Amino acid sequence: MNRKMLGLAIALLVPLNALVACGPTPAPTAAPVVVTKEVPVVVTATPAPTKPAKVFKVALILPSTMDDLAWSQSMYEGVKKVKEEMGPAMEFTVSENLYKIVDAGAAIRDYAGKGYDLVIAHGSQYQTVIRDIAREFPKTSFAYGTGFQTGPNIFAYDPQAQQGGYMLGMLAAGMTKSGKVGIVGPVKGGDAIKYNEGFKQGVAAINPKVIVLETYTGSFAEFVKAKEMAATHMDAGADILTGTAQQSVSITKAAAERKGVYMLSSDMDQSKLAPDTVLASQVYQWDEVVRRMITLNKSGILGGERLVLDFSGGKLQLVYNPKLEGNIPKDLKDKVEKAKQDIISGKLEIKLP
Amino acid sequence: MVEQLLAQGFIIGVLATSIRLTAPMLFAALGEMFAERASVLNLGVEGIMLMGAYFAFWASFTSGSPWLGLVAGMAIGGLMGLGMAFISVNLRANQGISGIGIYLLGWGLSGLFFRLTFGAISGVAGFQPMHIPILSAIPVLGPVLFQHNVLVYIALLLVPLSYVVLFKTTFGLSLRAVGENPEAADTMGIPVYLIQYVSVILGGILAGLAGAFLTVGQMNMFVDNITAGRGFIAIALVYFGRWSPYGILAGSFLFSIVDALQMWLQVIGLGVPYEVLVMQPYILTVLVLAMAVGRSGGPAALSKPYVRGGT
Repeated sequence: MNRKMLGLAIALLVPLNALVACGPTPAPTAAPVVVTKEVPVVVTATPAPTKPAKVFKVALILPSTMDDLAWSQSMYEGVKKVKEEMGPAMEFTVSENLYKIVDAGAAIRDYAGKGYDLVIAHGSQYQTVIRDIAREFPKTSFAYGTGFQTGPNIFAYDPQAQQGGYMLGMLAAGMTKSGKVGIVGPVKGGDAIKYNEGFKQGVAAINPKVIVLETYTGSFAEFVKAKEMAATHMDAGADILTGTAQQSVSITKAAAERKGVYMLSSDMDQSKLAPDTVLASQVYQWDEVVRRMITLNKSGILGGERLVLDFSGGKLQLVYNPKLEGNIPKDLKDKVEKAKQDIISGKLEIKLP
Repeated sequence: MVEQLLAQGFIIGVLATSIRLTAPMLFAALGEMFAERASVLNLGVEGIMLMGAYFAFWASFTSGSPWLGLVAGMAIGGLMGLGMAFISVNLRANQGISGIGIYLLGWGLSGLFFRLTFGAISGVAGFQPMHIPILSAIPVLGPVLFQHNVLVYIALLLVPLSYVVLFKTTFGLSLRAVGENPEAADTMGIPVYLIQYVSVILGGILAGLAGAFLTVGQMNMFVDNITAGRGFIAIALVYFGRWSPYGILAGSFLFSIVDALQMWLQVIGLGVPYEVLVMQPYILTVLVLAMAVGRSGGPAALSKPYVRGGT
């Protein structure tokens, strides 16, 4: 009897694991890239035995899915871009839906044990687990973010989300007719809180009288609650909404279902989902960060660097929806552009509490 | 602050939101109630909801009709229920473990199908809110009760309907007999296995409907793991409601109203840390479940597989 139960449970779980395992792996056929970039030859002290060009193996651990139109997808697209450049010189594997640190830890250890050169755990929550595992695998590079604490073989990446948040906040304050704008946040942490702080300061810079309604769902992936919260904001009078994390697609959808409401998205440009609603977006360009980590790793530097994504490096970008761009008054747009230049030149620094 | 709390808009907002939040809980919990009344504990509700959510979205996206979506969601829910019934009734597997298996299977498959068919997040029109003539114009009551989409009313109507089925029909009597004492029911000529099959499949259909509500009645889109634990809350609500339709209605409404209230309190900006507010519905659930211990329990044969002629 007992054996029967166990057998059954296993029978049910095995095909699922197989699905999960084969699902996320990018199809190998999808790489007909003809890029033949010379990989810079790194001169090392000991003459390496002439192996045929070593394949650089990258593993990516995602808290949600690689098509979430937000945090996870932005990084996936970045690594994919680098993979397309490097072609067969790089191998790239993804594991998705590893929001829980314990599950992610098992996957990270697994990849490190299999000899991956760079393991990227895409979330601030992975900091401690990365630190533990990195000690056991000193020859592997690890990366995580949002964060700043590094280690001999740990890279930390740190998007300055408050910069784009500030510019989008300016847009919100200039575009609102009701005088109320709403933030539907996930949790008060990571790059979400940086973004929200920047957004509030941006609003105040244009019009301190505009009220910012600010709520949190307590999760990154409470899609239903995020949409209901967005509806609550609009019922309370907000006509511009914003918010981060994968659940932000819900805010976009909620805004799209009402007239006269704009959404400002972050991480990725969500205007494809709602072309008449998403006014502008802050977009993360991760490919630069990934390229940098690979180059450092190849030159023997396995970690220790904090990689900042900001507007001055072009790793953060402000993207307007071309369909709605014309609705923005010119002087408002000029002010946003001025703020952008000031942020790039360092004249304007957005302080976080 | 006080005047904001007492403002009509605030009260209407909280109540209207909570009724919308109640509907999927009601579908799933009523379905689980039927399964548990027939002694089968189906912990796979969450997975069945996810499959119902995906298939409803897919069918309404491809056909353009949310009604066809609803049918598809219910059909896949019934199919998953059939699977659960086979595992628990014929194979007599441990219901806790196999339920978790069904959950993981539903989550994995729905995500996989979504990726294979859509590949990117997109939306459907879904069921639109209806403004019931005359009634919806009543102050306060109108916006709270009479401006929802049709599925909300179906969910609310299911409560008295389930009550009648459970307590006023022969089927309901057999169902309860099977849940309390399958041996006795069997000697009385009640087809125990058939009753269990019917109730678990019915539970699956309602769980599929709950999932369909999320994608074509509330979110109008599908995303991976859209249920975010609602299937498990529904199971808790069955205990909360003491396996009775009205108890479940009270429980799910209480849970939803606290949830809606915390959203509105955050919007007003009380200055209370949001974590405290977000926790409220769950604290309430734990409290009520803790207080319920010791009171009359559920079906006596719950989660025990029935073997004809003894073990």
